[in-house]
Amino acid sequence: MDKISIPIGPHHPLLKEPLSMRIDIAGERVLGGTLRMGYVHRGIEKMTAQRTYVQDVHLIERICGICSHVHTTTFCLGVEKLLGIDVPPRAQYIRALMCELERVHSHLLWLGILSKHVGLETVFMHTWHDRELALDIMEGISGGRVSHAANQIGGVRFDLSPEQEVMVKENIGKLKAQVSGVLGVIENEPALRARTQGVAPVSADLIRDYCVVGPVARASGVDVDLRRDDPWPPYDQLDVNVITRPEGDAWARTLIRALETRESLRLCEVLLRQMPEGPVTVRAPRKVPEGEVVTRSEAPRGEVLYYLRSDGSDKPARLKVRTPTLAVLSLLPEQLSKIHVADIPVVLAGIDLCIACADR
Amino acid sequence: MKAMRKRHSLLDAIIDAVFSRPDTVAYPFGELQLPEGYRGAIVINPENCTGCGLCVRDCPTGALKLEKKSRDEFKLIHYPARCAYCSQCESSCVRGAIGHSNALVGATDRPRELIVVLKDKKEGED
Amino acid sequence: MFRGLFYLLIFPGLAFQVVCGLIFEWIDRKLLARFQRRIGPPWYQPVADLIKLFSKEDLVPLGSYDLVEVLLPLISLSAVLTAGLYIPIARFTPFSFEGDLIVIQFLMSVPTLAYYLAGIASVGIYSILGGGRSLLQYFSYEVPLLITISGPAVMAGSWSVAEISRSQLTMGPFIIFQPLGFILAVVGLIGKLKRDPLDIPSASSEVVGGSLTEFSGAKLGFWYLVMNVQAVVGIFLLVNLYMGWSNLTFPFAAILVFLVEFLLMVLILSTTSAVFARLRIDQLAGLGWRILVPLALTQLGFVILMGV
Repeated sequence: MDKISIPIGPHHPLLKEPLSMRIDIAGERVLGGTLRMGYVHRGIEKMTAQRTYVQDVHLIERICGICSHVHTTTFCLGVEKLLGIDVPPRAQYIRALMCELERVHSHLLWLGILSKHVGLETVFMHTWHDRELALDIMEGISGGRVSHAANQIGGVRFDLSPEQEVMVKENIGKLKAQVSGVLGVIENEPALRARTQGVAPVSADLIRDYCVVGPVARASGVDVDLRRDDPWPPYDQLDVNVITRPEGDAWARTLIRALETRESLRLCEVLLRQMPEGPVTVRAPRKVPEGEVVTRSEAPRGEVLYYLRSDGSDKPARLKVRTPTLAVLSLLPEQLSKIHVADIPVVLAGIDLCIACADR
Repeated sequence: MKAMRKRHSLLDAIIDAVFSRPDTVAYPFGELQLPEGYRGAIVINPENCTGCGLCVRDCPTGALKLEKKSRDEFKLIHYPARCAYCSQCESSCVRGAIGHSNALVGATDRPRELIVVLKDKKEGED
Repeated sequence: MFRGLFYLLIFPGLAFQVVCGLIFEWIDRKLLARFQRRIGPPWYQPVADLIKLFSKEDLVPLGSYDLVEVLLPLISLSAVLTAGLYIPIARFTPFSFEGDLIVIQFLMSVPTLAYYLAGIASVGIYSILGGGRSLLQYFSYEVPLLITISGPAVMAGSWSVAEISRSQLTMGPFIIFQPLGFILAVVGLIGKLKRDPLDIPSASSEVVGGSLTEFSGAKLGFWYLVMNVQAVVGIFLLVNLYMGWSNLTFPFAAILVFLVEFLLMVLILSTTSAVFARLRIDQLAGLGWRILVPLALTQLGFVILMGV
């Protein structure tokens, strides 16, 4: 059969963010593919050097439209380490709570997108209905659905009132019931299983070779999770269950994310129960002493790494961000062979791309 | 396992959905509910504002502008089309003068019409 | 003369079929929306969509055969409308003759072939892929569908839809004798209509718009009309073949029963599209040839044995 090369992207119904792929196919078989990215490069790393640390927090929040909070948290942790200030414990707990809620909303969003790509629009709508509960919690306590503006250097911007705590607990209880329903659908629905099981399995060795992190790595049996391996407070006081699956196919990734959602909801409840009293912020000086620092945290998609160098002024000299998507993207050409054309959406959705994160 | 399949099948989910209220709102005809703490339009308490310019300095998007002639005569202008609604001005203000209301600022094709003069203090006024 | 024109243009011809098609689209979309916890479109949405498409600019990509592109949707539309003329609507049938079931089957296949040609006539790579997929899908569902549909014909001893439908008054509705056949016919109909879960030729996440990627404006509007009218004609056909209750002598009761049966079929189609994920093309071919064809043959053999 003749070889045809089909373009996917930069604009394609499959992609929510611009990414360009050229995929060689023969009939319905995929032979291979190449990747091109950089369409949403906004120069954020350079822009941070032109703004003060206070303004940078808001700029960094806009690196990603889904995991915005974990980016600012990692940045603030770095700046606070350079400043040598201790964040009040209540602020740490609120930060972690937001991180876990963000993971819940990110994973549910992703589950919806996967099911839409395999033609199950009903599951898409239903998971996004559940996700709305997580967004409602975050909007209620921070005032923004996706850009929460929760962090500032030295703490968080808002406190949880007792009524809000009740609201959060109530919504998390509802979410737990919904997520168990979603889990049931993923485990039992033959239609979803038929499309995802055994599609493009990735071995643990390949994952290690490409330095892939996050749920994709865990779905191949690589046991990495920064919440346990390199925790910042309060994760060091929590007992995080890291979930792994040995299969490495699209179905394992689906299941991993659903199970992680459940685990995150459990962590949210623990955080709420253990939340200490006290202030939520301390005053931070505007000028940051000279030095460099590296901070890491576990975003919904894997490890986020921030390198920060300060020259003693109120603006960072250099900020380098490493997001999980880039590592996972490099694995993509490896997976785009020996599959069907109809599996391309499953493979692409399975790695949970965040192009805006990767391009910055 | 069999009981779980019964409880969580997609068919049950859609039957459930038919007999519950729809989640979507027919915006702009339906009512949009925003929570109390929603970061909406920028509002100011004019009595507390002294025109110090702390909010203008920290604004990440340059949405605030202070035209200051003297201590007693200044004008604080807000450009909503530039604003990111990040509440940095609220955190920066030491006198608690500026902040958010929970009113939604809609999109428009005429951003100039949205510009608000938050405070216009003339000489001799209080 | 005027009577003939009335049949062709108003009832049961053009106007009736198009209105039914739009009503079908609205009910289908509304049901799907309610299954998905949404409000769904207002009743005039299908009409509004059509008006919008017809008033839009018609783009013809460089290198495509524009005459072919214009003719294909028109030919498909006239084919399905003609097929609709031979199907009794609540006992009313002006043009019935012996053997019209075969003609209907042939005419109903025209849109699929036109869809394939539309893909080949376009220059876009997605159109070609979608066209090829539609032909592959055609070979998977059409054979079991043809075998299945001959079941009622054999049982009634006639190849006229009206005759098959009428014979059910004395023999009882065929859905009771051929439940398996009915299910297979619904699967075949879904495949014919390229609806979810068998929307393989037009799966947006894989081949963008399928064959219709390069179509725009009024031509696309005609294509959507073809899909809807085809759905309505297919539903009418299945209602007549398997649920012959609508042949009651009292006209009002016949219309009511026919309407209820129509709505039941829409409900079945909407529910299947909400509950099942799209199949891969190899899965569909496997399903068609390994499962559906043997089942259809079993059903047919069963019917023949019952007749003996």
